[in-house]
Amino acid sequence: MAKSKKEIISIKSISKIYHLGDNVVKALDKASLSIYDNDFISIMGPSGSGKSTLMNIIGCLDVPTKGTYKFQNELISEMNDSQLANIRNEKIGFVFQTFNLLPKLNAVQNVEVPLIYSSLSRKERLERSKEALNIVGLADRMTHKPNELSGGQRQRVAIARALVNKPSIILADEPTGNLDSKSGEEILKFFDQLHKAGNTLIIVTHEKSVAKRAKRRVEIFDGKITLDE
Amino acid sequence: MNRIFNYLSDAIGGVLFYFGQTKLRTFLTLLGITVGVSSIIAIMTVLTTFDKATSGLVEEMKTNVFYITKDNPIEISFGSQGRSSRNKPRITWSEYEQLKRTLTLTKNVSAVVAEEPSDRTISVGKEELKNRLSSFWGGDSEILALYKYDIITGRNMREQDLNDRARVAMIGYDIKEELFPYSDPVGQTVKIDNIPFTVIALLEPKGEMLGQSMDSMIGIPISTFLQYFGGRNWRRADLQLVLESESMDTLDAATDEAIGAFRAIRKIPPGEDNNFYIATNDQLMDTFGDFTQYLQIFIGLVAGISLLVAGIGIANIMLVSLTERIKEIGVRKALGARRIDIFLQFLIEAMLISIIGGIFGVILGLLFGNVVAYFMEQDPTIPFNWVWYSIQICAAMGIIFGLYPAIRASNLNPIDSIRYE
Repeated sequence: MAKSKKEIISIKSISKIYHLGDNVVKALDKASLSIYDNDFISIMGPSGSGKSTLMNIIGCLDVPTKGTYKFQNELISEMNDSQLANIRNEKIGFVFQTFNLLPKLNAVQNVEVPLIYSSLSRKERLERSKEALNIVGLADRMTHKPNELSGGQRQRVAIARALVNKPSIILADEPTGNLDSKSGEEILKFFDQLHKAGNTLIIVTHEKSVAKRAKRRVEIFDGKITLDE
Repeated sequence: MNRIFNYLSDAIGGVLFYFGQTKLRTFLTLLGITVGVSSIIAIMTVLTTFDKATSGLVEEMKTNVFYITKDNPIEISFGSQGRSSRNKPRITWSEYEQLKRTLTLTKNVSAVVAEEPSDRTISVGKEELKNRLSSFWGGDSEILALYKYDIITGRNMREQDLNDRARVAMIGYDIKEELFPYSDPVGQTVKIDNIPFTVIALLEPKGEMLGQSMDSMIGIPISTFLQYFGGRNWRRADLQLVLESESMDTLDAATDEAIGAFRAIRKIPPGEDNNFYIATNDQLMDTFGDFTQYLQIFIGLVAGISLLVAGIGIANIMLVSLTERIKEIGVRKALGARRIDIFLQFLIEAMLISIIGGIFGVILGLLFGNVVAYFMEQDPTIPFNWVWYSIQICAAMGIIFGLYPAIRASNLNPIDSIRYE
């Protein structure tokens, strides 16, 4: 990975410590990681390795107990709840294993949700949501509810939702975990396309086959980063 | 600003969808608010129509007339008060005569016995009066002046009529129109419960008051009334006395004089309460005003309780909705919703539910109130200020009872709630 690329995420020696009764659990132990523009990274590790904690911190859903986390030079580790929410809203596109679409909203409305919390007008929101659905190839499914779509289509709606705010990174948590192999393959191909189009992608997974698709692989075990290549 | 509109429209969409999903539950929640609000609006509609009708009455009744009666005719008495009023002595004919002799500041005095309305059969030949008579009274010659009736044709009753208990009657214009459509009624015979009376006067029409025609009336000498219609012992019948001072300026002096004179007649020792009731029209209107005020307070209390229960219902439905939507809240938070966004979303939903309930309540209340007003023969009306208050009350209820669920929702942790199933 050429170091000349712009650094988006700079994680330095972060730890996350939980106190469960008398037990002290170190979910992350002095982990460091840098992510650059147009990276395509997989983060792999068994369950309990600290993978989810790392993902939550990268996704600004949580803050580290120790260490620093900078996102485009903004110090995330010191931010309060609503500052974190703004970062999530503007800079991060989430793709979840279980899609997490809102069942009561149709495809366009689901894609619109992140924009509700930004300052766009109604018209702009709709235009951008339609555009995002176009990118994922679901222009003809705009008004379908999630339960009227296949698993692959649902995940594509979720990806459109992740793209709609033109985020700096796309953070996918086991994006193929709930899909059959054919739909999973489609989604992964789509990730390749997104990468080629210049997006920065982070895929968290425990499947080797998925991790291999990434251009850079990170492995985590016992809260420590054990591989970065 | 856009952000506010964004989640306002989002919340409206959410609420409307929610209504579609949980019809019965939402309906039941709305019902509480609707009942509370509609009862306020219905009562206020009726009271408003009533107020409109009585404001004319107040003007009309701003006169120098005052009354001596056994009880306050309008007062609603409770418990011991009610019992003591039963022990008050009747106002008798001899008391009236003594009083009449003593008063100096009073222009007109009359004893009155009245049936309002009256179910007596009024007929001329075979023709019977179809509608119930609004007023049938016995008075003496000064009563016409006191009641402000003018004579079109004929004459007032005389001392002689009273002494003879003459069967003479003065009739209102409605009676003439129905029973003597083509002739002058004066000198003709009208039967009251089959007792023939000679019409001596036709009275000038006065129109309506409180939806009652003032012209559907018959007046006869009080002595005649008591003899034919007042039971056996007419000398002990309970009378009402109607008095009139020279002018508005002397009204207070005249009432004071009348109180003094009546106490003297009844030999009430100083320091003891009057065992009769004396009031000017103003005071009567005031007691009427008091009554409507008590009614308002009472209704306010009932509506308040029902709204409180409804509010608890809202809090409940919002908490249920909250546990059903923990995942949604987690997703929204992950996608960038701040605490305040989730808080406002829930608060706006609670407000919308209660305002929608309130709007149904207003519509129902207006319908119901105006149906009642219609049967009371009042003009339909909308108490705009109360409609506005109700909507405000509902919005406030939404805020108060939506507050706790909204705070709980906004404090949910996105990591845990997004995994919640």
